[in-house]
Amino acid sequence: MANALQHVAWESCVLELHRDRALESWARKRQGVPNPAIGYFAPVPWLARALVDLHPEYGLLMRLDHSVMDLVTLVVSQENSCRFCYAAVRAMLWAQGMSRARIQRIEQDLARADLPPRTMAAMAFGRSQSRSGPAGARAARDVLQQAGVGADEMREIAFAVALTDFSNRVYSISAVPTRPMEQMPDQLHMRLLRPLLNRLLRRSRYPGRPTPLERIPSPPYARLVEAYAGSPIAAAVARTLEDMWASPHLTRRCKLLMVAVIARGLACEACAPEVREALQREGVTDATLTQILTHLDAPQLDPVERLLIPYARETIWYEPAPMQRRTRALRERLSGPQLIEAIGVASLANGLCRLGAMVLDPP
Amino acid sequence: MTRAILIGAALLVLAVLAAALHRQWRRADGLQAQLDAAAAELQHLQEACSRLAPAGVVQRLIAGGVGGSSEATAERKVVTALFADLVGYTAMSERLEPAALARVLNGYFQRMSDAIHEHRGHVSTFLGDGILAYFGALQPNPWQCDDAVRAALAMRAAMRDYNTELAAEGLPSLAVGIGIHRGPGLAGLVGSRERMEYSFVGRTVNLAARVQMLTRTHQVDILVTEALREELDTRFVLRAMPAESVKGIAEPVVTYAVEALTSSHTG
Repeated sequence: MANALQHVAWESCVLELHRDRALESWARKRQGVPNPAIGYFAPVPWLARALVDLHPEYGLLMRLDHSVMDLVTLVVSQENSCRFCYAAVRAMLWAQGMSRARIQRIEQDLARADLPPRTMAAMAFGRSQSRSGPAGARAARDVLQQAGVGADEMREIAFAVALTDFSNRVYSISAVPTRPMEQMPDQLHMRLLRPLLNRLLRRSRYPGRPTPLERIPSPPYARLVEAYAGSPIAAAVARTLEDMWASPHLTRRCKLLMVAVIARGLACEACAPEVREALQREGVTDATLTQILTHLDAPQLDPVERLLIPYARETIWYEPAPMQRRTRALRERLSGPQLIEAIGVASLANGLCRLGAMVLDPP
Repeated sequence: MTRAILIGAALLVLAVLAAALHRQWRRADGLQAQLDAAAAELQHLQEACSRLAPAGVVQRLIAGGVGGSSEATAERKVVTALFADLVGYTAMSERLEPAALARVLNGYFQRMSDAIHEHRGHVSTFLGDGILAYFGALQPNPWQCDDAVRAALAMRAAMRDYNTELAAEGLPSLAVGIGIHRGPGLAGLVGSRERMEYSFVGRTVNLAARVQMLTRTHQVDILVTEALREELDTRFVLRAMPAESVKGIAEPVVTYAVEALTSSHTG
């Protein structure tokens, strides 16, 4: 099946594949089918788990229809030129019975796709958010409101877009191999297995149920998590954040500085004050932070921070191949888990800062 | 006998139908391939467009169609403008054969564009032997001043390497003057009905061009304005130049020559 992203330059994978049977088995149980990429992130468990736990399909959405979510994921992945996610969603749509012609119509011309207006509005929103980022948040919200999308559903659409931005970055920056996923619908045995795949995929997808938020995580992103209180999204994001901050490969200060740089690059006024507050607790003075955020460097930075702060900035807007080359260059200066954690932190911050601008009103 | 004829006729009809079906199937395949190629081309084109204008502008253009109003794409922005020009181009153009001159110029444009692109700049236009580039025009970029000066230093280094290559071929050396200024202006699609380009209009561009001309007066290769210096990282080593009057600007313009980027912080 021809794929509109096949011309996008894509380097060989930056990471090594690790076999972790327990992780693979857990992912297979959650997703219904084997996850061919999770082993690349096994050395950093919070990231490997986040790629499954934060996937909106598995019990996180209470109102948004899964078929709408799939289409939103498709257009966002197309916008972000993520060949891996794009091929994965296409393969999933195909496995669930959507014809190739219909998939291509959706990709080629959204305006002429035979879809309900609310679905088209959700897809247009995803496209616009990926192109403009927080700067276009207000206009993007208006599009959804005009289509009659309610506040709760809108928050779920925003989450689907943000989490696609997150996973797009994880897979693109690491240059996870795309070919197996791209070729799947063309393989004879996969065509024969299509009805079975459809059953497995449908069985593993289920709507979310109201979930109390046990405790609000410490800043940053506390307000963001609170905005989703009552939804399973809040609990999943809070757990991922806690695991991410607790992970030992990069210091908490280094992670916070990466988040701060991304919030500044995206002009996310909603997240920036919380990041500043968290950094003050880590002993970073206002003057030092201003210096870092203005020039991406300061004498107080350690060697790893000095590498990763400019790198975090590169993850905001990028083309896959040059970004993959930049990431490969870091391999010589960071340990394997440090590099994977850096990719995860930068990707998550990109998703959550975009979500913050969408969901929270600037203070 | 009749039965055999009927079976034969039926087989013939079936064969004709099968052939027609096969032909249609092949035709449909061909059309699908054409459609795929056109879709890939369209996707490619949209991506190429997003390198020429901000994604939001491309989006509005697509939504409004080619005949849509270009005024809707205009917005006020603060952008850093970099203006580069070859020193001594006129003399060189008189000495070199047209083919050699074109090759030298293309090599120069390529290397300068690579340096600008590498530091997240966007080459807006080539004006004769000059280059006009913007930082922070296509996507929001709070680090646009540092990026522009880093790009200028990369251009200086690329020029040095290129001159080594030119010397090996017995060709004359090139020198470039670069002026950089940051300020507000109007960004959007500008031009006639027949030809439009994404451009940035205002005093900022004019001043960058004038500052570039001052590189000849001060005998340096990179000059930045006071407004840009205020935003720069203190690791850039700058040297203050005497204020000079330039055409179209009432007050004398204070500029700074960029010498290097060090690894230690000052001030």
